Amino acid sequence: MKRVRKWLRRNQGIGLIFSICLIVFLVYLELTPWVHREVRDGFTLGFFPVVGVVLLIIFSVIMVFDARRREVPEGVEVFTFKYFLGGILILAATGFYFTIMRKIGFLIITPVYLLFFIYILGLKSWRKCALSAVIMTVIVYGVFTCIGVRLPPGILGRILPF
Amino acid sequence: MFQPEALKEAFQLFFTPEVFLWMAIGVTVGVGVGAIPGLSAATGIAIMLPLTFTMPVAPALGLLIGLYKGAVYGGSISAISFATPGTSEAAATVYDGYKLMKRGHGRKAVEMALASSVTADTASDLVTICVAPPLAMVALKFGPAERFWLVVLAFTLIGALSGKHIVKGLLSASLGIFLATIGTDPVSAVPRMTFGVYWLAGGIPFIPLMIGIFALSTMLEEGIKLLKESGVVEKVKVNIVKGFFKEGAGLTMKEYLRCWKEMLIGFFVGSFVGFLPGLGSTVGAFLSYGVARQVSPDKKIGEGVLEGVAAAEAGNNATVGPTLIPLLAFGIPGSISAALIGGALMLQGITPSPRLFKLYPEIVYALFMILIAANAFNFGIGRIFGRLYTRLGLLPKPLLVPLIFVMATIGSFAYRGNHYDVILALVFGLVGYGMRVFGIPSAPLVISFLIAPMMEANMRRALIISHGNWIQALLGSPLSIGLVVATAILTFLSLKLKASEIARGGIEKVV
Repeated sequence: MKRVRKWLRRNQGIGLIFSICLIVFLVYLELTPWVHREVRDGFTLGFFPVVGVVLLIIFSVIMVFDARRREVPEGVEVFTFKYFLGGILILAATGFYFTIMRKIGFLIITPVYLLFFIYILGLKSWRKCALSAVIMTVIVYGVFTCIGVRLPPGILGRILPF
Repeated sequence: MFQPEALKEAFQLFFTPEVFLWMAIGVTVGVGVGAIPGLSAATGIAIMLPLTFTMPVAPALGLLIGLYKGAVYGGSISAISFATPGTSEAAATVYDGYKLMKRGHGRKAVEMALASSVTADTASDLVTICVAPPLAMVALKFGPAERFWLVVLAFTLIGALSGKHIVKGLLSASLGIFLATIGTDPVSAVPRMTFGVYWLAGGIPFIPLMIGIFALSTMLEEGIKLLKESGVVEKVKVNIVKGFFKEGAGLTMKEYLRCWKEMLIGFFVGSFVGFLPGLGSTVGAFLSYGVARQVSPDKKIGEGVLEGVAAAEAGNNATVGPTLIPLLAFGIPGSISAALIGGALMLQGITPSPRLFKLYPEIVYALFMILIAANAFNFGIGRIFGRLYTRLGLLPKPLLVPLIFVMATIGSFAYRGNHYDVILALVFGLVGYGMRVFGIPSAPLVISFLIAPMMEANMRRALIISHGNWIQALLGSPLSIGLVVATAILTFLSLKLKASEIARGGIEKVV
């Protein structure tokens, strides 16, 4: 099992996983009716997307056999699922921040988002975190407002004149 | 034909305090807009266009051309400082610029970007002035088939942008081709590859893709690194204020002159790409960067050298002047920005057309003067902005990473005011991070995503024109055949260069 896991971290393993996923995707595409619908210049609607997927499969398969197949990419060597999940959480938090921002406003939610993000990333003084979060929010708001981009004002929009 | 009387009038139009004032305002706004992710030169011009309604023609042109030039350069500032290209044109600058920034040479990189931008821009403006009408004639000879081969020619440069493992570069390019097919079929206008998601019918917009692939993925990587590291607290305590006031060394004349070859490549490639309608400065930057990497493999472009910044920046700014050639000579705008400048001229009662040189020679001459003078303003104002931004880039990572996340999110949204663009940027942030982990380069994806739709559309157009005859469609003109030969030569040279690289020890690391 350990050997298989080690093998999967090599270019060969990555190429093989890519190839399998892409072949499944190609089969799915081929089974979809719109792919075979002919358009007025004689090409099918799915011709060019399928070309893209076929190219992806070809190069993934080459990765399994080429001269660099046994190399382990630098990023894969240091990759851990635990921290990758941390990354996913950062992205999810950013998506959540944006959704909330549209409802309650940029000026309210951004300092909160920044405060927690800065704290998690290593600045352990709450006072400094809060100060930096507020300053950065005001700067970003000021810059975007100056050039005419209206950021979601939210509930503050009813109170503030700008 | 040269008209001395018109030149005298143009001098009177140009040498007024209003022209200089509005040019300075235009460059300032342009550099600022360009440096903000999601806002392009076209956005800035569109914002400022209503201001020109009541202005005389020369100050209006000063404002818009200054803004255009400033924005094209401005994109590089945030590309270097935060690995977040402010505009798509600056995407190629990230590779070397951000690596220089991380090594503490941010100010040097930004000044190199400015110097190479201004140098190539001035040179291409002179070309525009001297050969605008004949060049426009050549541009008009480029039909769908010629454009198709030009794009194929650009594809051959992907090898140069692939790094050590060419297969991964080609895999990345294929992903770009695939992503470019999502949206609407260019001939039948029927949605394809949208999986029933209505907001994908317009295709994947370039700005969120770029913000995701470059900015969010880089910051995600930095964020994950920070989460892993321990003992950051002490470092941050010391650096928080000091970081902002720290200033690296500036660019020396010797370093500037060392990059002459890359600036020359950028000038030639950018000018050529610029005068062909539709290709744009992003293609100019990537092509120039790719050619420079091919020509000088010993300079290690891509590993954080000034030459890489010079090639990319010279390549994008050199397109600015020539983009106006088709507009001035034939009334055909070569880019969105050129179209908006054309619109501003029309608002002044001046219609860009083949008769423009005859009817309004003084306006054309004044425009040429503004083109040149705006470079000087760009140089002065760009330096100030550059210094400020590189200081921001030196802020401690725990502050910088969240700030970039906010800027990137807002930038994706501000681009079209569409919240789906934010979702796309986040998705591509994850894709970009995955590519970094697997060692797959992002440059081939970006360039193929940009040029694949042009290749498909031009090939299909050529086939429709020739009623399905492939030979006639793609090899029906001497220009097409010339481009095929050039493609073959370039492919051969690329393979030869790659082979010699491998022979020199490029695959030594193979276990």
